[in-house]
Amino acid sequence: MDYIREKTPPVRENRLGACMAFGGSCCELSAQSKKGCLYNNNRTFSQSQGCQLTLSLAILNTIRDSVIVVHSPIGCGASLVAQAGIAKGFQKLRDPNAFGLRWINTNLDELDVVNGGEEKLRSAILYADREYRPSAIIVMNSCVPSLIGDDIDAVIEDLQKQVTAKIVPVHCEGFKTKIQATAYDAVYHGILRHLVGVEKYEDPDPVIPDELEELKEKYRISRTVNVLNVSSMSRMDEQELVKLLQSLDLNVRILPCYAHPDDFADSYEAALNVSICATHDDYFSEHMKTKYGVPFILETIPIGIANTNKWLLDIARVFRIEERAQKLIASEVGALEAVLTPYREFLTGKTALLGGGEIRILTTAELLHSLGIQILGLRGFHFDRYGEALLDQLLEDVPASERAIINIGTGQPFEQANLLARLKPDVFVGHPGGNGWANKQGIPVFPLFGQTYNYMGYLGVFEVARRLTRILKNTSYSRNIVKHARLPYRKDWYDQDPFSYIDQGVADQGMAL
Amino acid sequence: MSKFVERPRYVCALGGAVGTLKVLPRTIPILHAATGCGGNVALALNQAAGYLGSGYCAGQALSSTNASEREIVFGGEDRLTEQIANTIKLIDGDLYFVITGCMVEMIGDDIKNSIKKFDGGDVPVIGAETGGFHGNYYKGYEIVLKTLFRDFVEQKTVKDRKLVNLWGVVPIQDVFWKGNMALIKDLLTKLGYRVNTFFGDGETLDNLRHSAAATLNIVVSDTFGVEAAQVFQEVHGVPYISVPFPIGDHGSESFLRRVGSALGIANAFVDKVIEREQGYYYSYFERLGDVYSDLDLQRYAVVVGDSNYTQALARFLADDLGWLPELVVITDFLTDEQQDTVRRNFAGYESGIEPELVFDTDASNIGKYIAGHWGQSNGQRYFEGFNPGFILGSAIERDIAEKLGVPQLTVTYPISNRVVLDRGYAGYAGALRLTEDILSTLVGSR
Repeated sequence: MDYIREKTPPVRENRLGACMAFGGSCCELSAQSKKGCLYNNNRTFSQSQGCQLTLSLAILNTIRDSVIVVHSPIGCGASLVAQAGIAKGFQKLRDPNAFGLRWINTNLDELDVVNGGEEKLRSAILYADREYRPSAIIVMNSCVPSLIGDDIDAVIEDLQKQVTAKIVPVHCEGFKTKIQATAYDAVYHGILRHLVGVEKYEDPDPVIPDELEELKEKYRISRTVNVLNVSSMSRMDEQELVKLLQSLDLNVRILPCYAHPDDFADSYEAALNVSICATHDDYFSEHMKTKYGVPFILETIPIGIANTNKWLLDIARVFRIEERAQKLIASEVGALEAVLTPYREFLTGKTALLGGGEIRILTTAELLHSLGIQILGLRGFHFDRYGEALLDQLLEDVPASERAIINIGTGQPFEQANLLARLKPDVFVGHPGGNGWANKQGIPVFPLFGQTYNYMGYLGVFEVARRLTRILKNTSYSRNIVKHARLPYRKDWYDQDPFSYIDQGVADQGMAL
Repeated sequence: MSKFVERPRYVCALGGAVGTLKVLPRTIPILHAATGCGGNVALALNQAAGYLGSGYCAGQALSSTNASEREIVFGGEDRLTEQIANTIKLIDGDLYFVITGCMVEMIGDDIKNSIKKFDGGDVPVIGAETGGFHGNYYKGYEIVLKTLFRDFVEQKTVKDRKLVNLWGVVPIQDVFWKGNMALIKDLLTKLGYRVNTFFGDGETLDNLRHSAAATLNIVVSDTFGVEAAQVFQEVHGVPYISVPFPIGDHGSESFLRRVGSALGIANAFVDKVIEREQGYYYSYFERLGDVYSDLDLQRYAVVVGDSNYTQALARFLADDLGWLPELVVITDFLTDEQQDTVRRNFAGYESGIEPELVFDTDASNIGKYIAGHWGQSNGQRYFEGFNPGFILGSAIERDIAEKLGVPQLTVTYPISNRVVLDRGYAGYAGALRLTEDILSTLVGSR
């Protein structure tokens, strides 16, 4: 993969043929995906979703010692307003000196739409540098400047000469893609072009090389892995994964969330890039391989025993320490299995519907299945070849899953409401933003992820089992509100095919529910 | 010419339109905007607003064309028509309101072409252009109200002399809007009037539909909703007054007198209402005498927020609670003329306090104004300073409060560190809630 000579990355519809609208069985999706015609699917009724700018912020608002400049009318990047007062706490878990969110919106108005907004961008960047003296200024390009033809790269190139902070452009115009996850490519594109590489840090004074030190350094690099974290994971998740890798005598560098801009410069000095989530990292990992020869693994996410085992073994294989990893796995799994029994007893026979990112839901489904829960259906934000591989794995691992319903769409809670009304699962495992709707239907919710809870590694399995059991011990809240709340859909919607508004061309085979 | 904003505490006009429509009973907003606009504002209209929730049909459920490259290149009117038709088919509402984002306006989509296809249908469909570049949340609120008054409110020839309409308390941007509307409504009820607030508890769209029968429109703001009142007057002939948002005895007394005079209520009756309210208010307020004096709870204060809240809070702190709110920072986009109007509300305090008033949208400057007003400690032995201090502002001010080591209460938008349901700060009863919250912040850290 080599897109980083371009100013902007391609969108995922083109790069991965990603699909954002589908409804059918798991088996059908797997078959359709292999035909490669899903990316054309659309909806004739749609509900709102985030754009790549919104999702880019999920990573960018964690980067330490930086200022974000959102080049747009005043509303873009609105999620920052919600996080302004609370982000500091999460940053402090990684850096006690963190100072919370710092951002500027260039506030493009009616005049700027006519005259161009470059001057405002220029003044915002200069202000950011003067006011905060940050290590990096991240400039996010949005729909409006893109349409009026602002050349943000030219502005940045010019200003970089007078500003000490590294200025990083991120091209994340919302209208360009319906696949929100294109955001990750946009962010990594900026990071790869402007923060990674030997030329990005100052050369130390030339001294007489110390061969022993050089050897030690070389050895250190040969045992260093970059763990590519995601903003939806907690500090506890990170700690669990670091602990597992350290017990294999590997050095761990965590990127990109909560990293300092300077941490990226020498990030290619690693033996392996370890992805937590292919949706998140394939663009970065592939480019690090092409440009710096760093190999990577990104087949799975360490959620559930099977996938954590696989994740560890994939890493160990690169370092030829599979035997050690097997021993670690045996000891971890042995200890874990012993404590899971009471939770399995409670959870066995319960049913679930899951919704969220493709990688996360497919692996979480396997985890729930291993606890005795029956998976009635899955709702993925989008679907591409990385989901396809995991789906095929799930079809193999979990008997009867080929009949489970799978629905692809970012948000689209009207389809979720229809499915929940039909399937009536004991629990809905959902992405934040869509959970309240399930609650209003009287269905208890287990959030798919959370920044204050542990989900990953072996400890994550125990924590999920324990919390799921707790949540199902008293479901009064959802049982109470269902009596008094109602969703906005007309009654006859629940009698219709949940995928009536999906225009899926060749894939449309109706549903037998 | 406008400038950039450092840490803005509002979203765009589109966000204001979504926010306003999301809490109007059984109204279904339909977004014609780029993919992402709806999702982008969702958190700001929920988590930054005391965890308001997604509402009846907003948040992820918000109907949206999710326009992308295809529509931006070829035009999106057909897609909008399809979306409106399917929204009506699927979503149960009494009013469907199309609003637009920047991109579809810039490419020249005309929503009227789509909307007129639904003329004469079972349900009303109206719309307005609310692209983000038109302004901030308040602008969206204003545009939506104007459109409702022009296109939805029915003409009335017979007036109801005991009915008034009330707005200017901006839903969501005033996080305590629901409580505040109820409290102000209650005060006006005591003057003998029935009140439409359009958004309040127990009201339906019919309150809005028939609101032209009212005898007076009361805009509880000098800035927000005034243009809409002019439109209402033009279209329906109902006059309006614009009065500052009241918190506490001094603010509420002046509010009641101005409303009373506009409605031609006998002074003696207004006096009686005020006296009764004061009796109730001070019966609680006086209970604080012990703790207020024993612990010396008087504070210097900084007030940060919009033009509605800051004047009400400063007046309450200075004239009711006896504090020293010496610095006020107003973060709205205001014209020079609006600034002059707003400035007048910070004068003539009974306590004699004259707050330093600053208009500035940028959060980082607040620390500089504090240092400018109270001076900066250089470690000298004798130093006056912002001590004992208190900051009334938004969640954004948590940073500066922490840096200065002073207590802070979040009362202006964004509010992400409190859950707000029906709490309100307006009037007499609301001021008691505010007193509880302020003083609890102080005694809570004992």
